[in-house]
Amino acid sequence: MSDFLVDATSRTPKIELNAQAGTLLLAGESYPEDVTQFYGTLNENLDAYFATSPTALTVSIKLTYFNSSSARALMELMDRLDGAASDGITVTIDWYCDPEDDITQEFAEDIGADITNATLTLHDLDRDDE
Amino acid sequence: MEFDRFFKFSQLLLNDQFVLSYSGYVSEDILHAVGETLRERLEGHAKSSTQIRNVFSIFVELMQNIIRYGVDGPQPGPTDAEKPSFGIVMVADDGDHMNVLAGNFVSADEAKDLTERVNTLQACSSDELRALYRDKLRAPSEAQSKGASLGLIEIARRSSVPIECSSEDAGNGHYFFMIKASV
Repeated sequence: MSDFLVDATSRTPKIELNAQAGTLLLAGESYPEDVTQFYGTLNENLDAYFATSPTALTVSIKLTYFNSSSARALMELMDRLDGAASDGITVTIDWYCDPEDDITQEFAEDIGADITNATLTLHDLDRDDE
Repeated sequence: MEFDRFFKFSQLLLNDQFVLSYSGYVSEDILHAVGETLRERLEGHAKSSTQIRNVFSIFVELMQNIIRYGVDGPQPGPTDAEKPSFGIVMVADDGDHMNVLAGNFVSADEAKDLTERVNTLQACSSDELRALYRDKLRAPSEAQSKGASLGLIEIARRSSVPIECSSEDAGNGHYFFMIKASV
């Protein structure tokens, strides 16, 4: 399949799903006007990617801010990734958080605790990434 | 509006301690435009990037609550809007804290319901709020409308002091519901 690339806006993150490399990047801000539509498109493309029977996917989350509606969409995204991992795809999730943002770190920790098949690791988000 | 009323209004608002205030009908476009302005203003007022993040986060959740749950006030709103939601949002620096206040019209039932939700959150520790947020995130959609919304819990978590609320009878079955968080 072809790559799925979305440019960042001031309220939606950059998305880079690189099918050849087996990588997914989400970077930037997330408080979309229509959360369901924004993450729905990503989910459709992910499903299409998983349908090609890849061996592995490495996911990088570098979100500097996301609102509570996006939090729910991200939780659903993590469930989808975990589901793919239970189907035999090696899914590695690297979640980058601002070390000063306790609430986002706790969110990533809680999400990580709910994931059973994929691997989620927390990292410090460099200021350069913002 | 006559000049004397306009002047009184300006004396209330045009003080340095007010980082930003918005009153009027709220939409996603307005949330975005006012939110970007708020961030620029906070760069000059806030004590840290953490304070900016928390104030901005509370602001977004408050504005989206008004968009979703606000009703038209006693004065008829614009007819072209899908669902006119009138509200006031204010960010004010009292020296110690950045206070974020929002007010909007709701029905009598909603005012009672919202007050109960805020009172419940007021009594929660930060660990309890974290657990509540986690539960709410996982709640099936039919249960999402019950209890405090995810947005309200987010506001409580980002606030340095327990969130407060108050409501005033605005007549015609409307209540003006007010909520305050501080960072």
